[in-house]
Amino acid sequence: MPKVTYIAHDGARSTVDVPVGENVMRGALYNGVDGIAGECGGAPSCATCHVYVDDAWTDRVGGPAGAAEAELLEAAACEVKPSSRLSCQIVLSDALDGLIVHLPESQY
Amino acid sequence: MNDMTTTAVADFVQDPANPRNPHLPRFCGRGNIRAHVPADLVRDSGLITSPEFLVEPHDYMAAMHTKLPPIFYSPSDYGNSWTLIKHEDCLKVLRNANDFRNLDIAPFPRPDDDYFFFIPPEIDPPHHRKYRNIVDPLFCPAGIKTLEGKIRQRAIDLIEGFVADGACEFTTAFGRPLPVAVFLDIMGLPQDMMGTFVGWCDTMIHSSDPAEVGKAFGSAIAYLKVAIAEKQANPDGGVVSLIANAEIDGRKLSEKEVFGFVCFLWIGGLDTVYATLNNIWVWLARHPERVQEIIDRPDDIDDIVEELLRRYSVTFSGRVVARDIELRGVQMKQGDRVLCCLPAANFDPEVFPNPLEVDFDRPRKTILAFTVGVHSCMGGHLARMELKIALQEWLKRIPRFSIKPGHEIKYKPGGVVGPAAVPLVW
Repeated sequence: MPKVTYIAHDGARSTVDVPVGENVMRGALYNGVDGIAGECGGAPSCATCHVYVDDAWTDRVGGPAGAAEAELLEAAACEVKPSSRLSCQIVLSDALDGLIVHLPESQY
Repeated sequence: MNDMTTTAVADFVQDPANPRNPHLPRFCGRGNIRAHVPADLVRDSGLITSPEFLVEPHDYMAAMHTKLPPIFYSPSDYGNSWTLIKHEDCLKVLRNANDFRNLDIAPFPRPDDDYFFFIPPEIDPPHHRKYRNIVDPLFCPAGIKTLEGKIRQRAIDLIEGFVADGACEFTTAFGRPLPVAVFLDIMGLPQDMMGTFVGWCDTMIHSSDPAEVGKAFGSAIAYLKVAIAEKQANPDGGVVSLIANAEIDGRKLSEKEVFGFVCFLWIGGLDTVYATLNNIWVWLARHPERVQEIIDRPDDIDDIVEELLRRYSVTFSGRVVARDIELRGVQMKQGDRVLCCLPAANFDPEVFPNPLEVDFDRPRKTILAFTVGVHSCMGGHLARMELKIALQEWLKRIPRFSIKPGHEIKYKPGGVVGPAAVPLVW
């Protein structure tokens, strides 16, 4: 099962198994990783699962999945960078095994 | 009223497996306004029951922004509360589960000696997430997507049943049976319970007679307890079975947890989509040119659904202040109740200019139809799917329709806002 590492704003690392087909937001919620709110549940209709994809992974993960994600990201609470994604829109595949994402200071 | 006779809200410790009544302080009516409430902030909200509200509830809630302070204290015989109408304030409160707790959320009577929590809403973080994790795989977008075919068929069957008549009473012909049929499918309960469920639910949410409410709720409790026992003996793929046999922290859910969870889904699933459909179909019937716009923009259906949910949000979110706190310069004390008027927040002109206008091209902003924060609605994706399918299948078969001539739309008082009857002709 692919592993995903979440690095909190304070540097704390959590590595959890996330099944293929599941998304990075749920991987955090199901495993009790703090720092991702995901309050709309992946509609997507909010921007509370904002993450920064680690530099080593940005090519493989790619940019926003669609116009909705891009537009929602503009309203994220913390600075939006080229590596910013809504983690509910990053779906795990074997190619993403080992993915590292960094969490912003706040989702609100 | 004496503040010292009841539990301090911040001190109430939950044991979800062994629930007990938190016995929160209650302040009811103008005679029980707490000392820290400034007299000039005491106003009647008019919500839910006043004749002015019932003329056209959504217009009323939009107008609150011009007629009332952004935060005011509304006395009521059922419990006084700070009423919030600003989008920003509602987000702040609903996203702060530490200072604004979600306890005692529903007016339905729960006996002290058989108390149960409504799960997950009455459970605080971090435990709350454990319960959501049990059902989220089913209620997340991917889970709901697997139900699409079945929901679509239920919608088609209903519409095909009356399309040739050239008329129907929408709330009973479609608005009620669609979400109830879908709910029964998901829960794994028999479809022949439809009429009975509808009756209990109508009474509980809209009756003004507490004895009637208690009786209906009692019947529902008795039925659900039997259904749970059955699913424990013979598990199946439905949600009642899933919850009845679920584990958290390496233990089975207690009897009280299972019941509180199933009972809450039952209450949450039956009336809200119903009211939403009813409100939206009144609007469609009155705006044939906008119906044509929806038909002409099939690729924009998700944006259309989102905007209609903003325009016709149907419910409210209450919280209890756990620690003294200031919001927009207003002092709130622990034990105060706060009511977030979600439809009013969705009409905040600072966030949604010209708020009553239905505009499918609005910039995306957080809408409060499903509230926000940890307790945001788990059924939101299901509701969106039902509304999308209802629009698509209805407009395919009945693209032009109107309110039956001479009928005046009247709204029902109650915590879920919608019209009493919607007779349509085509």
